Amino acid sequence: MFGELLAPQYLTWLLDGFLLTLVLSALACLFSTALGFPLCLARLSPRRLWSWPARAYLMVFRTTPLLIQLFFWYFGVTSLLPEDLVAWLNMPHEVALGPAHLEWPSFEFIAGLWGLTLYTSAFIAEEFRAGVASVRDEQRAAGLALGLKPAQVWRYVILPQALRTALPPLLGQYMNALKNSSLAMAIGLAELSYASRQVETETFKTFQAFGIATLLYIATIAVIEVIGQMLQQRKRFRRGVI
Amino acid sequence: MNRTDGASFMNWKTMKKLTALTALALAVVSGLAHADRLEDIKKAGVLRVAAFDSNPPFGFVDPQSKQIEGLDVDYAKALADKLGVKLQLQPTNPANRVPLLVANKVDLVLANFTITPERAEQVNFSIPYFASGQQFIVKKGTLKSQEDLNGWRVGVDKGTVNEGVLRKKFPGAKVVAYDDTPFAFTALRNGNVQAITQDGPKLIGLLANVPDRDKYEVPPFTISNDLIGVGIPKGETALTEFVDKTLLELEANGQAQKIYDSWFGPQTKTPLERLYKIGDKS
Amino acid sequence: MDFTVIRDNLGYFLLGAYPDGPLGGAALTLALSVLSGLASAIIGLGLGVALTLIRGRRRLPLLAVLGFFRAIPVLMLIFWAYFLLPILFKVDVPALATVVCALSLIGGAYLAHSVHAGIRSLPEGQWAAARALGMRPGQVLRLVILPQALPIMLPSFLNQWVALIKDTSLAYVIGVGELSFVATQVSNRVMVHPTEIFLFVAVVYFVFCASLDLAAGLLARRRSRRRQVSA
Repeated sequence: MFGELLAPQYLTWLLDGFLLTLVLSALACLFSTALGFPLCLARLSPRRLWSWPARAYLMVFRTTPLLIQLFFWYFGVTSLLPEDLVAWLNMPHEVALGPAHLEWPSFEFIAGLWGLTLYTSAFIAEEFRAGVASVRDEQRAAGLALGLKPAQVWRYVILPQALRTALPPLLGQYMNALKNSSLAMAIGLAELSYASRQVETETFKTFQAFGIATLLYIATIAVIEVIGQMLQQRKRFRRGVI
Repeated sequence: MNRTDGASFMNWKTMKKLTALTALALAVVSGLAHADRLEDIKKAGVLRVAAFDSNPPFGFVDPQSKQIEGLDVDYAKALADKLGVKLQLQPTNPANRVPLLVANKVDLVLANFTITPERAEQVNFSIPYFASGQQFIVKKGTLKSQEDLNGWRVGVDKGTVNEGVLRKKFPGAKVVAYDDTPFAFTALRNGNVQAITQDGPKLIGLLANVPDRDKYEVPPFTISNDLIGVGIPKGETALTEFVDKTLLELEANGQAQKIYDSWFGPQTKTPLERLYKIGDKS
Repeated sequence: MDFTVIRDNLGYFLLGAYPDGPLGGAALTLALSVLSGLASAIIGLGLGVALTLIRGRRRLPLLAVLGFFRAIPVLMLIFWAYFLLPILFKVDVPALATVVCALSLIGGAYLAHSVHAGIRSLPEGQWAAARALGMRPGQVLRLVILPQALPIMLPSFLNQWVALIKDTSLAYVIGVGELSFVATQVSNRVMVHPTEIFLFVAVVYFVFCASLDLAAGLLARRRSRRRQVSA
């Protein structure tokens, strides 16, 4: 079980899995932030037409397990989609971005990204909302009294303060997205956890396979944590100067 | 944090507490530092066996009794009866079989467990009690020649021999691994993979329970010959000898044939000729 | 969609093989989450108080341990506890206990920081005043600080509980027969109704978690209203 070090080929598997984990969670964070922000605005909207659907979305996606959501999207919804669409999604396509050619992602990647994004966006919307709620009502009133339009109040008064408050919990959600990406192994996506199981199956070096994967997760979380600390220090510094 | 720091954090008192805790844990937990598992099983009066819960007819949850039933389970029952102990079943998927044995979570694995030299370094195997070959399920008429598989997306189970064999025989195939065969089959139904591969009898057992089984086929070729044995913790010689002896007895007194017939006999959903008998030279 | 598959297997979804076998399904999910919820509350409270009381370099190992449990994916921790602890330390933990331990350690690590923040949110004067009255630090905590801080923390306890209920679904990797596990069993048997089954399972989790979530929201609102009234 301990024995000699894993053969290079298996280290490559783990590394490939790690890269996929990084790409998957980075994209999921990006998209869910982009989705979470309008969700938060809709949730805060005084119009029920906007706030109620947002409320329902947040409730449903926050209170059901990600594993079940992934199963639902990958095994459930796919069975309802038209066959041609699924076949198209599964076929390799060339995505040309200027001179760079991107490989078309596997269907498991698309489903995993979709599921992880929808799930994470609900939490990110709530963090934004908590950030906005932390800005006192008087601030808004003061902004309006200074003759700013409501949109300007949002842009110049509420958002800068809300984002500052929301930054640490937002980074926490990014860490969660990274950890949660491990569940995508249940739908056959070859990310880090999957790779560690694969290596374990082939080599039976259980301790090394899981040890390396665990260390990679923890190291990445630590890096995010450090980045967060640095951002906050800089922010405090800037606030002190201005 | 360096070593001297760590030492200063852990003073003598916590050390003593930890030792006491470990001792307590060791005392509470049974089945550790055993000299002989066979004796332990007899003493405990329970045989812990890992079996499949989603792979008819080897091991599956019966909708009526809500218990795990199947061919593997019948062998497990026979072993427990012979020992005169209670049978306790632990559901497992393919990937958990070796870890369950190595971590001493179960005494035996009867879960369509293919005997391989690599696995034999981690666990003991009994003599084979079943034989099968790796085959495929595809949508009817889609597979024109075996070579097609080289460009296809093929679903396998994590932690199976099939995965390695597939990689070797069809290096061009894109392997997608799932937790269990029915997951892989659902992916095939949905069109996410174009074929799935597993031991033939397992695939036939799976198809027998699919409502629209006419749309699928098992092409008549095998890419490996596998012998299925009982997985036993490494180094448990007495337990291995007991399992071997019991399996031979089951064959001699006709019970093995009876078990086979009740799952693969002509009257079943999955009629399959019995080509391998326990004790045959492989 | 055809929901007869749900009706036919309802008993199995809710109770597992019980009473002919071990308790499973939604009932086991509830039992697991109640147990790990209580355990994580105790761990979180203990470690949160420790975070507040311990100063200086002795705090580092505590922070490291908390950081570890917040950084490791639940799935990985369950693997470690179930398959690797017996090999490394010869400690055998049964599957159910593994899940409860793993979940309550992770939940406790998160709660510890909430508890710490809740205690720190009280004005420093409270500590000073209680110490001036001659109370020992333990008494200050028990009689003055915690009675005020606990209501502030209650919503985060409930939120953590919601997270725990969802995380019990990960017990499927080691074959614990909770709701998600029995659902995949049934889905694997009937094979043609994954959408209906996972939708139903999602609804059950939704009912469990949404009611807790509503309770947390209600509590938070009542608190802020009371604060406004008293202010």
